[in-house]
Amino acid sequence: MSAALAKRRDEARMIFEGRGIPTRRAEEWKYSDLKSALGEAGLGQEAAATRIMGLPQGLEFADLADPNAPAWVSQHLGTLARNAVSEASLAFADGGLALRVPAGQAIAIPLALELSGAGHLRLLLVLEAGASLSLFETGDTAAPRNAGIEIVLGEGAALDHVRLTRPVPGVQVEEIALSLAAKARYSAHFASFGGKLSRLELTIALEGEGAEAHLSGVSVLGGEAHADITTHIIHRKGNTHSTQLFKKVAGGKGRAVYQGRVTVAKGADGADSRQTAKALLLSETAEADLKPELEIFADDVKCAHGAAIGDLDGDSLFYLRARGIPEADARALLIHAFLEDALTNITRDDVRGMVRNAVGHALAALL
Amino acid sequence: MLDIKNLHVTVGGKEILKGLTLSIQPGQVHAIMGPNGSGKSTLSFVLAGRSGYDVTEGSIIYNGEDLKAMATEDRAAKGVFLAMQYPVEIPGVTTMTFLKTALNSQRRKRGESDLDAIGVLKLVRAKAKELNVSEEMLKRALNVGFSGGEKKRLEILQMSIFEPKLAILDETDSGLDIDALRLVAEGVNALRSPERAMLVITHYQRLLDYIVPDRIHVLAKGRIVAEGGKELALELEAKGYEHIVGQAA
Repeated sequence: MSAALAKRRDEARMIFEGRGIPTRRAEEWKYSDLKSALGEAGLGQEAAATRIMGLPQGLEFADLADPNAPAWVSQHLGTLARNAVSEASLAFADGGLALRVPAGQAIAIPLALELSGAGHLRLLLVLEAGASLSLFETGDTAAPRNAGIEIVLGEGAALDHVRLTRPVPGVQVEEIALSLAAKARYSAHFASFGGKLSRLELTIALEGEGAEAHLSGVSVLGGEAHADITTHIIHRKGNTHSTQLFKKVAGGKGRAVYQGRVTVAKGADGADSRQTAKALLLSETAEADLKPELEIFADDVKCAHGAAIGDLDGDSLFYLRARGIPEADARALLIHAFLEDALTNITRDDVRGMVRNAVGHALAALL
Repeated sequence: MLDIKNLHVTVGGKEILKGLTLSIQPGQVHAIMGPNGSGKSTLSFVLAGRSGYDVTEGSIIYNGEDLKAMATEDRAAKGVFLAMQYPVEIPGVTTMTFLKTALNSQRRKRGESDLDAIGVLKLVRAKAKELNVSEEMLKRALNVGFSGGEKKRLEILQMSIFEPKLAILDETDSGLDIDALRLVAEGVNALRSPERAMLVITHYQRLLDYIVPDRIHVLAKGRIVAEGGKELALELEAKGYEHIVGQAA
């Protein structure tokens, strides 16, 4: 480990120990009370692991624990924005993985990653200029787990990311911090089925002219499942583009949270940002908290945001039943339809099929 | 086929139908005409089984059965079809998927076996061609981005696929230009048959130039106030509702 990196890790440990685990008194953790969900045991100091199912050719790989890790590891690791818990993952995840796609390389086979075990883990993914990769992220149900992921996209690099998690009985939190150079493109879909407390936080810095981030996600939550997706997209330069489309279905005592902040920095003229979050509540006891936010410091920008929480549309339900479709089937059809446009953002057919299956199973359990 | 006696219906606590009586035999086409707010759409929704439309008095007997006691979807399976004035848009469900799901739901309820995907496709394609409904429309999300004429054509296509015994057409002419109206009317006329009854609800006489009814009933303030043959439509057109409704009152 380089001296610079060791110093970053020490600082992270001090910051985390100083602040502690966030409670709902912190505004950004208002809907996700991590401290009480974890209880006395807290996050611990164990290290979890990242498993790779077959390393596609052309991808370089380094162990973060390796004292002789290549220079690109210490150049990037721990340099991106961190929230309260990713300070902890940087401090306590001994080892972890670093992956790099060299400049200009297009990796044809998707990279399948599984986050595994309880504890902290750390992952660094670097796509150099013009490189491209498709990432498929899953995780086992071990808890508590705290994953900190850093993604660096060089000029013109393209990352396609799909995260599909299973319902988790315990607490899992994950922070993904991204930095995008000019014309880099990040496209991602997050399918979540919740946990005792489940939170995904994304901080995306569009650092270069023309960089783009396109996010979509579906959540299907029943029982007492909680799923929080918190995003912060920063348009630092001009002509950057971001879209977000999140659809959530909650029944039982399920609780869906979306907090989306978009910041357009001074001088980022021509920035274009759209965010939509919608939740469908299937029971009186289900809850959705949707909070889109805009901070604009530039003059010439296009920003749109919207959020809506509702029940199934009565006109649509009547129309389907009047055509002979039984009520339960009509409801299921409308719920699938509600989620559908968020699923069409997944580019690979095989991956979309897997996500659709998982959604189907979760809905079947809920209805 | 359909016997409505002294029907009283309230919507949101307000009485809309106030003692409506109407009887239709198989093979007949009846028209219901009436000014806005007379209760025309309420009648169509009550027959189709929309919730929130409460029958407080009277009876609706359909082929010997009490229609009020039947669930909405069961009425459809037993041959009641309502072509709606405002067909709903459902993003995320393709028109073809919807048609297949609806058709097989009805078949299952009647104890018939499902038609497979190819069977449904063949059936739908053949009927769609007659009504000038394109393949492209069938692939689009249900009614999403359809023009007024396309929506109404799709309603008639459904009627042709589901082959109902009692078809109720609620203001099928609204929002249509003359060419679209003619196309829709031809579609409806092609479905006239000795076993099928139709109830055509309209504000204007125009539609009845194309779909010529056996009987016309004038609905005003929740009651039938005048009845007659097809010539009644012309009289209404010439003299206005005020004249006939006024006479009846």
